[in-house]
Amino acid sequence: MESKDITLLKKALLRQKKARQQAEKILEEKSKELYDTSLHLKETNKILENLLEEKNSELDNVFVNIVDPYIVMDLRGKMIKMNTAAEEFLGYTIEDNIMLTDLVHPDYKQYSINSFSALYTTGLIKRYRPRIFTKNKGLRYVEINGSIVKDKTGKPIAAQGVLRDITYEFEMKSLLDLQRQRLDIIVENSPLGILLTVKGDLIKSNRTIEEMLGYSEDELMALHVQDFISIESLKESQVLREKMYEGNMDNFSINKKYLRKDGSVFSAKTTVNAVKNSKGVLEYEVALIEDITHELELEEEKIQLVKDLESSNKGLQEYAHIVSHDLKSPLRSISALTTWMYEDYKDKLDDNGVYNLKMMQEKVESMDKLIDGILKYSTIKSDNLDNSIVDVNEVVKEITDIIYIPDHVRVVIVRKLPTIYADRTKIHQLIQNFLSNAVVHIEQKRGLVEVDCIERPKFWEFSIKDNGVGIPKEYHEKIFKIFQSIGNKERSTGIGLSIVKKIIDLYEGKVWLKSEIGKGTTFFFTLKKQK
Amino acid sequence: MLNVLFIEDDAIETMKLNRTVSKLQLKHKITEAKNGEEAINFLRSDEVLPDIILLDLNMPKMSGIEFLGILKEDPVLKYLPTIVLTTSENRADLLECYRIGIAGYVIKPLKYEDYEAKLESVFTYWENNELVKA
Repeated sequence: MESKDITLLKKALLRQKKARQQAEKILEEKSKELYDTSLHLKETNKILENLLEEKNSELDNVFVNIVDPYIVMDLRGKMIKMNTAAEEFLGYTIEDNIMLTDLVHPDYKQYSINSFSALYTTGLIKRYRPRIFTKNKGLRYVEINGSIVKDKTGKPIAAQGVLRDITYEFEMKSLLDLQRQRLDIIVENSPLGILLTVKGDLIKSNRTIEEMLGYSEDELMALHVQDFISIESLKESQVLREKMYEGNMDNFSINKKYLRKDGSVFSAKTTVNAVKNSKGVLEYEVALIEDITHELELEEEKIQLVKDLESSNKGLQEYAHIVSHDLKSPLRSISALTTWMYEDYKDKLDDNGVYNLKMMQEKVESMDKLIDGILKYSTIKSDNLDNSIVDVNEVVKEITDIIYIPDHVRVVIVRKLPTIYADRTKIHQLIQNFLSNAVVHIEQKRGLVEVDCIERPKFWEFSIKDNGVGIPKEYHEKIFKIFQSIGNKERSTGIGLSIVKKIIDLYEGKVWLKSEIGKGTTFFFTLKKQK
Repeated sequence: MLNVLFIEDDAIETMKLNRTVSKLQLKHKITEAKNGEEAINFLRSDEVLPDIILLDLNMPKMSGIEFLGILKEDPVLKYLPTIVLTTSENRADLLECYRIGIAGYVIKPLKYEDYEAKLESVFTYWENNELVKA
């Protein structure tokens, strides 16, 4: 080898040696660093472990001191730790190897699954309220608040939670809910509209008032009471409310008009009561609203009816007035003339003539009595019925004696008529009206009028049947109205059947008829048996 | 003897009164008027005023009540005792007559005999009364 080469090699070797020395030095330095770090870590770990241990023991103390049941379970739900309270409450110990899921009531399974998946994702579980089976206390409602426990690497390893027995609370709430529900049923189904207000601002309404006003509950809640009170009632209503707000009265009741959503108006009786707290301060006003539109209509109808009644009564009175003079005056004249005829010509009359004059006098008297009866009737009201025992057969006989019966007409009593307790004059008038109508409207060769009566449990049902001309259907109602005469005979006054109707009304009976043109008419009427 | 103004539209009623007076042989002077108008005309004429007036109520033209009203308006005629003689038992009529002012209200009975008796007592009563005499 040449010395040049050797020199080169030596140099290279030296460089290598130097480099190795340098590398070794770096390595040595790094190793020391590493060692130091590792030492440091060890120490840190030690500190941490101590800390953790401290924490754990601290927590253990907490467990013991927690009054509420405390549980720790693994991720499958198996109980791995329970404090005394939990053991007592659930009736199990860790040795029983129980799963929380086994304790949950089947109805709460799905709810529990949802709650647990929330726990795994968020790490927390709050107000989880299952119903669980406990060993000694049966089914209980519990509330669990808890969180996920993680290992040192942050991996979830368990879940912990505090249980609270909320069974009593829950039952109270259920009971309250039930009572509330029942109360709501009453309130919602009340025929009265109900509004709860605070100084006129709506707090609660029931369905009835919502339907009355045509608003939905939400729409209504946005309103103030004065928004749906009609202008004409507003002032009065406000004055009263103010008085209530000022504490001058505890309740008031007024009839006022309400405005519906569609603008229409209805009348309602409104009663407002103040609800005060224990200190006597007004808290709420409760308004009960009763729709009286129908009642007011009835009232109006009633007033109208009374008016009509008055005017028809007046008509009758006026009629009576005319009857009084126009019928009684001629009777007086006939009576006088008959008397004079007898006085002046008694020497010239034979027995038959004297008898006829006497009969004439008697008929005039009967007629006069009847007119008196009608006159009295026209001023008589139901409170002065003069009831006595009346043999209806006698009444019919009296009537057939005084009324005009055409020669071709016979009046017969079909079955013996009853003896009833009633006002004789009225019964007389009643039957006379039917009979005198019946006998004069017969165009058949042989007229027949039949009087009959059937006894019903509470009523006597009389019938007067004729074979006369009949009454057209359209008049069947009209004929019972005053001064409605359908006959073209001069003697029909149009008052007869209206008197009939009035008398029958007095005895709470009914009157109706069946009629066939050309064949005849049957009038039926009932009289309630008097006690 | 009474001077009587008899206001009545009905002929037979007039006959009844006249027959009664003659039958009972009463000496009263009866002046007939067919209605209220005629009666007023008579009372306002130069004739001697009657002692009493017998007045029917239901008459055509002027009714008895209208006549009564006019009579009571008159400062002199209002003193004439007026007895209503009517068939009307209407209470409203009765009250109205007394309201305006009458000396009596007699209802005509149905039978002539009863009428006679009633009228006789009416006449007897007024005969026994002291009258103003014109």
